[in-house]
Amino acid sequence: MNTVKDSHTHHISQQFNEELEGVKKSMLEMGGLVEKQVRDATKALIEVDIELAEIVVGRDELVNNMEISIDQECTQILAKRQPAASDLRLVLAVTKCISDLERIGDEAAKIARLSIELSGQGDSQQGFVEVRHIGEEVSSMIQQSLTAFARLDVDSALKVAHDDKIVDLEYRSTVRELITYMMEDPRSISRVLNIIWCLRALERVGDHAMNIGEHVIYLAKGLDVRHMDIEQVEDHLETVNK
Amino acid sequence: MTDQTTNEVPTHAVDISALGRTNEDRQLANEEICLEVKNLQLYYGEKRALHGIDMHIPKNRVTAFIGPSGCGKSTLLRCFNRMNDLVDTCKIEGQILLENENIYDRTVDVTELRRRVGMVFQKPNPFPKSIYENVAYGLRIQGINNKRTLDEVVEQSLRGAALWDEVKDRLHDSALGMSGGQQQRLVIARTIAVKPDVLLLDEPASALDPISTLKIEELINELKSEYTIVIVTHNMQQAARVSDYTAFMYMGDMIEFGDTNQIFTNPNQKQTEDYITGRYG
Repeated sequence: MNTVKDSHTHHISQQFNEELEGVKKSMLEMGGLVEKQVRDATKALIEVDIELAEIVVGRDELVNNMEISIDQECTQILAKRQPAASDLRLVLAVTKCISDLERIGDEAAKIARLSIELSGQGDSQQGFVEVRHIGEEVSSMIQQSLTAFARLDVDSALKVAHDDKIVDLEYRSTVRELITYMMEDPRSISRVLNIIWCLRALERVGDHAMNIGEHVIYLAKGLDVRHMDIEQVEDHLETVNK
Repeated sequence: MTDQTTNEVPTHAVDISALGRTNEDRQLANEEICLEVKNLQLYYGEKRALHGIDMHIPKNRVTAFIGPSGCGKSTLLRCFNRMNDLVDTCKIEGQILLENENIYDRTVDVTELRRRVGMVFQKPNPFPKSIYENVAYGLRIQGINNKRTLDEVVEQSLRGAALWDEVKDRLHDSALGMSGGQQQRLVIARTIAVKPDVLLLDEPASALDPISTLKIEELINELKSEYTIVIVTHNMQQAARVSDYTAFMYMGDMIEFGDTNQIFTNPNQKQTEDYITGRYG
């Protein structure tokens, strides 16, 4: 079992406990909001719900503000507490995660804006099944990476990386299929391109969820596994666990 | 306008193998060893203060001892120049090798050992003499009285302790008129005047203001090219800043010894983690 007991409590300084718990909680809240943004954006697209799409676009500002305020909290902790070891890794991981979450928020807003545009481009359902499918997948990747963060669960973090590989494959094959469709019916090009951009945004969401998984591994194990293949990461973890 | 034809990788590309992850932690195995402690046990009367310490202190590096009060770090530090010999009830077993020679061997001249292994304490303790005579003291007791030699050593040592510019015009004033930070650097100058191999620093900056503390830390960094430095400090950030290696002690045991970067970001032992993150207690 790769989970580590959460120990961001039990400081001699109660205040310090609260500050660390605070940034962690805020980050998870932000994650929850961002996950909802992705789900709502996908839903708005598929159900051609312009109202919902506009809500998603509006809420992106909230996501941006959360990033700034959590960043400030982290800066304060670094300046006042000079955290070390796992506390330091927690603060660093939070600052990295929130910038990934903010980028996910941007992708969700992008999908929402595209869905408003698409609503005026006819009512073909081409590509919707794939959007729904990949949207569902990346949303649960976000959720899983956040749960992994909350529980310091390395196994779940690795699972997110595996899922990202699958999403990448699905994205590529869907794009290929949609290109064929465009060749068959050139009148559909602008509409299908918008769908491809939505899929592209979702694929990027998956990448950011995977990044969060990597930050979890850094937080739990102190290993920087960015830009490594999954197999390499697993080998690396195995040698550390020995 | 962009040039679409140049897709080649530029030849001046940065060599990324020199960056980041490939930058391994310091390894004790790659270091020249200055002091080797072998199963060192120390008793104050009936009480065992050090429980069989084994460790290596690398040459020309700064090694910091950290740990809660009473864990034995100062006691261990004092073993390196046999200061514990001065405590009546103290009994020592095991060995400490300085350049492969056991310093607890009967044939060792303790005065000569203390010349080779100099010590600086928490409270600056200049002699009630002039600045010049403080630094020249060690040489005078060795019988060196040649004025030219002394002048040279005093200047060198004061420069080495980053004090020369501040005191060169008042070398013959009393050392007791200096600030605490200056006194501490004077004591370091006095210690390095006799050309030791090892400098032991026991909380050298804990009685000083933040600026003087930074000066001492800066000095430690400069001195390590010539001396092996062992420092005991309660200030964990200071240990993290100045040392290359860190040893964490607890209740007379050496819990963890390793590269300072690793100890402060990802320690191996739970006890170390708890102490440096402030969960000890």
